[in-house]
Amino acid sequence: MKRILVIDDAATVRLYHREILENAGFDVSEAINGLEALEKIEEATFDLYLVDINMPKLDGYGFLRALRQRPIPQAPAIMISTESSANDRQAALVAGANLYILKPIKPEQLLPHVRGLLGEWQQP
Amino acid sequence: MALKKGKPTPSSDVPGERQQARDRDGLLQALQADDAMTRRWAARDLAAHSEAAAALVGQLRRECENSVRQVILTSLTQIGNDTAIQGLIDCLYLEDAMLRNAAIEVLKELPDQVAPFMGKLLQDPDPDVRIFAVDVLESLRHPHVEEWLIEVISQDPHVNVCATAVDLLGEVGSEQAKAALISLKQRFADEPYIQFASDLALKRIEAE
Repeated sequence: MKRILVIDDAATVRLYHREILENAGFDVSEAINGLEALEKIEEATFDLYLVDINMPKLDGYGFLRALRQRPIPQAPAIMISTESSANDRQAALVAGANLYILKPIKPEQLLPHVRGLLGEWQQP
Repeated sequence: MALKKGKPTPSSDVPGERQQARDRDGLLQALQADDAMTRRWAARDLAAHSEAAAALVGQLRRECENSVRQVILTSLTQIGNDTAIQGLIDCLYLEDAMLRNAAIEVLKELPDQVAPFMGKLLQDPDPDVRIFAVDVLESLRHPHVEEWLIEVISQDPHVNVCATAVDLLGEVGSEQAKAALISLKQRFADEPYIQFASDLALKRIEAE
């Protein structure tokens, strides 16, 4: 079963993503900010990250930059945000996101992206 | 302006540390120094000068060194006057996500000072700024928080602003939020997240 780490400071958002992903057969873990996510990746390996941008302590950009520098097996990351400016999208991709999608997320939008990235992912 | 030479102190031989006058004008000049440590010390000591808020805000927006930014934010929190609050609010409009998030975290710590600005912030034309304003409400612990959130979910036309407000109402909402939550579900009947988050909030309110 593929493992996905959902990183978002809003408990309702984490629960919403968990339900969508678990109903689709994925194993889901959660982190409340980038700092906690960095701790989780020390303890377990994930196949995909679902990352919010604005979080206290360490935001989504900071998490991705740190993740991409670690000598661990890498995995694709989807950055999810309410911000739609071109700069945010560009910054997400530069930080290490593979995809940038906007809230509000619908299950029928999210799952094809998740399956697509998992299917085409190759270790750098 | 000529700088007064400060009395030598044990730390004065450390590069960048306390080598300039520690009065307000000296500190304001040190805040512009090339050396980050000098700027950091100046920012720290300027916390004692509320009239330096504008200069601190200006430096915050130019500052590249994260450690100096952190000290400036701490000093602005300590000053907490209208100039400091407005300067922090202005950071919500910046593209720099790290600075924006840092400003949000500081504003959350200043409930009484932020409250007078909140009504205008929640009416801002930019939906992202309205979302940041709701983020600030998260930890504001102000008596009007629920009232503001109900107003947002009743009136704001942007789904993501309402979604952020519902997340928070799920934690702080009471019986008086029920009607607005039900009406929000009807307004955004095609948005699964709004349905999910509103149901969750209503369940929690009913369970209390």
